[in-house]
Amino acid sequence: MGIEGPSGSVTKGRRRVSEVDPVGAGDGPGTVETPGSVVEVRTSASASLIPTIRAVASDLAARADFDLDAISDLRMAVDEACATLVDVAAPGSSLRCTFDVREELIRVHAEVDTADAATPVSTDTFGWRVLQTLADEVELEANGSGTVGIRLHKRADAAPR
Amino acid sequence: MSALSFPASRGPSRPGGLDTSLTRPAPGVHVLLVDGEVDTLTAPILGEALGGLLAAEPADAVVAVDLSGVGFLASSGLAVLIRAAHTAGSQGRVLHLLGGSRAVTRPLEVTGSDQLFTLLPALDELLARIDGDRPAG
Repeated sequence: MGIEGPSGSVTKGRRRVSEVDPVGAGDGPGTVETPGSVVEVRTSASASLIPTIRAVASDLAARADFDLDAISDLRMAVDEACATLVDVAAPGSSLRCTFDVREELIRVHAEVDTADAATPVSTDTFGWRVLQTLADEVELEANGSGTVGIRLHKRADAAPR
Repeated sequence: MSALSFPASRGPSRPGGLDTSLTRPAPGVHVLLVDGEVDTLTAPILGEALGGLLAAEPADAVVAVDLSGVGFLASSGLAVLIRAAHTAGSQGRVLHLLGGSRAVTRPLEVTGSDQLFTLLPALDELLARIDGDRPAG
């Protein structure tokens, strides 16, 4: 195969009311929780496309009024998570990255298909420690089903280090 | 900026690329200029360039990395810088980091690795410091 070009897709939409507040759906304005924006980016699972994904992360955080340290932390955390996943991704597969932008918080879920269901993601690395430091919460999802994911979230105001 | 200001072509870093060049702005002072984004793809380029910087003679030469053109620094890039700091330490010298923006200083601070380097705002401060250390006349 040749070098993969950027073959990503970006979709953006409002979270459906029913997902946020199934009970209150249909009530008048004011009774429904502030809906979050969901942005999904899908690219080839290639390290050369991670700059695009981290740029999206940075842009979303800036638009959500994150402070400058938090923007920087999120960008780095997303880069780290994607780099970790691309490392174990099956050849020719895609990297799916979803950003759920809430008030004061962005939740990120990144996922790849792995070549081997047993592909281990090592959390005993410098990169993983950095990721844990940068994100407010981070969790590895590896259930041996052929996909590996990383879930993390970052609050809008970075804790002083 | 300093006498070593970037030519106009050194604009804002573009995603994914990295350029390095080794300069000698003053006798006995070796500065590696880095421009771009340091991530898992480009960290090896930085590692190689740092190897060139740390080969600088004489052994008491001042070595510095100018990061003012760096728009992103991932853990893979940090790891390369940390390794270079240790190498410099084993040579009996300090690795100076110059002019990092928040994209550079934040990762250094968050990981506590800023302690391994001497951080200065720009080349001018490094040169002034060296002048200050030299006996007058």
